[in-house]
Amino acid sequence: MIHINNLTKKYGEHVALNQLTLQIKEGEIYCLLGANGAGKTTTINLLLGFTTPTSGNASINQIDVQENPKATKRFLAYIPENLMLYPSLTALENLDYFSGIAGKKLSTKELKDFLEEAGLQTEAFDKRIATFSKGMRQKVGVAIALAKDAKVLLLDEPTSGLDPKASNEFGLLLHKLKSKGIATLMATHDLFRAKEVATHIGIMKDGKLRQQFVSDDISLAELEKVYLNTMDYKEILL
Amino acid sequence: MLSYNFKYELKLLLRSRWIQLLSLIVLLLFGFSAFNGKQKVEKRKNIIVKAQEELQESDAEMLKLLDSVQRGMEVSASRWTLPTSPMAVGNYHPRVASMEPQPMAFVSTGQADLFTHFVKPTATGDDFALNFTEMTSPVQLLFGSFDLAFVIVYLLPLLIIAFSYNVLSAEKESGALRLLAAQPISIPSWVMQKLGLRFFWMSVLAIAALILVFLIISIDILAQMNLVIGLLILVLGYMLFWFTLAFLVNLWVGSSAKNAVAMLGLWVLFVLLVPSVLNQLGNTLYPMPSRTLMVNEMREVKAEITKKQDEILDNYLRDHPEYAINDTSQKRSFWHRYMASQQLVKEELEPVVSSFENQLQKQQDWMNKFKWISPAITVQESFNHLAGTSSEDYENYRKQVMAFAKNWREYFVPLLYNNKEFTQKSYATLPKFQYSSASYQLVPVALTLYLISIALFGLGIFSSKRQKTKGILN
Repeated sequence: MIHINNLTKKYGEHVALNQLTLQIKEGEIYCLLGANGAGKTTTINLLLGFTTPTSGNASINQIDVQENPKATKRFLAYIPENLMLYPSLTALENLDYFSGIAGKKLSTKELKDFLEEAGLQTEAFDKRIATFSKGMRQKVGVAIALAKDAKVLLLDEPTSGLDPKASNEFGLLLHKLKSKGIATLMATHDLFRAKEVATHIGIMKDGKLRQQFVSDDISLAELEKVYLNTMDYKEILL
Repeated sequence: MLSYNFKYELKLLLRSRWIQLLSLIVLLLFGFSAFNGKQKVEKRKNIIVKAQEELQESDAEMLKLLDSVQRGMEVSASRWTLPTSPMAVGNYHPRVASMEPQPMAFVSTGQADLFTHFVKPTATGDDFALNFTEMTSPVQLLFGSFDLAFVIVYLLPLLIIAFSYNVLSAEKESGALRLLAAQPISIPSWVMQKLGLRFFWMSVLAIAALILVFLIISIDILAQMNLVIGLLILVLGYMLFWFTLAFLVNLWVGSSAKNAVAMLGLWVLFVLLVPSVLNQLGNTLYPMPSRTLMVNEMREVKAEITKKQDEILDNYLRDHPEYAINDTSQKRSFWHRYMASQQLVKEELEPVVSSFENQLQKQQDWMNKFKWISPAITVQESFNHLAGTSSEDYENYRKQVMAFAKNWREYFVPLLYNNKEFTQKSYATLPKFQYSSASYQLVPVALTLYLISIALFGLGIFSSKRQKTKGILN
């Protein structure tokens, strides 16, 4: 689903992303771990066509992101760290609007089904987003991805700022999306959640992918140790 | 995308308290300004009606006197004012040459607060030097009149700016733009649709407000359909221009604060700076000669001519033998000499008077040449034309008055030189003044206004194709 080949992004002399190559197949969740400035968000921005690569290429569903960004966006959904929807519209209206402009004309029943599938309480459907917590907004974001019938999901720090319950609920949602065959790329600092949900984990530093694991092959403690070692945090006691 | 934008943009607008307040402000401004304009028109009408009533009273008095004289009765009036004398009628019973307000006069005060709306040209008056200007309050001149044209030309763009300056930047600043940009849509098209829909809703609001105002102040919309449609076309064209500017600013500038400053800068440029600079340049390049000097010169010429009035009369009668032949009594009075000298005075002063007209014409030509730099000028000018209060309307009125004054004098000259009396029967044959308004071609102005907007819009589309989403997001 997602093919990234030698993708490099430079801002002047600064290399934000250095020859990243990775593949994410259907039903896989790939978690990119790394400190701030490691290149996680740059990767997502490149996949969204928000910025152009200095070299290399990326494709979604075999369509080149740079050559045809509009076509690739038909297959992908994106949930940023702070999902900002229209505060004066209700959850149902936001879902209708975003799926509508993406070309999906859905009935009210279908819209409600998607919100329900995303785990939003029924009584919140007709409430304005202004009253929603971050966790509830993330659920609407997932409903947008479901309604859009996205094949690829890009998540940028989706669990930051969520309480453990909301974070856990979000993890469960990702499992549900995985079972639907959606390929997910998630940038996060949250090692625990990454280990919980990911099929694959990558550790980035200074724009370079330093380590890659199949999630089942590594324990949380080992992951933490590798992560800290990769980050050169030598003085921290494990 | 359009149908969803259409549906949800309306919902967002209706749920925004700021927009609700803005709509109320539009309604109130339109209502108050139209009421204000209507009051001024009523005042103008009342002044004309009063002048007409005074004329009717004066005529009734004159006819009564004529009747008494013709019956051989004693009358108490002085000899000079007896209406049997043609010159007494020509000078003491002048007609009211009035410029009745046009049906849309309430829309724009234009030059109406600078000029008089009726004059009474007399047979011996210096009609070529008639002063049509009125004493006005300098404070009012400074601030202008609070009429519909003022609201539309000056204030409506400010409301449009408030309505449109942050269509894209607000999304960018709230973070919603990243989610939007992740959809298979073109952000410039999305901005265009959002602004297009805001233009649509603002147009609906403006049209509804105008029609409501017309109904409240009892304007017969059906009878004035052409003018109403013309007005609406102009308003929509002007609004489109400002929305197109907002489109460019949204695409080219950046943060909401910068957009607001850029839009306000454009407002200052187009609405205040360009009109005042052009006006100032017009005055500097083609300054008007001093009216006081003209009046002084006129007095000197008259004094010179008075000294040789007998000679002038002889020359005049030589040029008009019909008067010398028909009048067997050959009785020549003050008026005979005066009227004969009037033509000479007019000829002598012609260069001074025409220098005024030429300079005024040059100023107007200058403004006409450069008025397209600012749509605010063209729209204001068009409103003035629709209202019948433009400089050209007053110039047209002045020319009609001049022509009437000439007719009025020429009516009495044969009676004077043939030493004939004015009678009750003559009353019906007195020249009458009927103002006819100048026609105005609105289509070229409106067309140019729309073309300017389309050109700017095309520029925005062209640049956005080069800019693409990544440029807009940064």
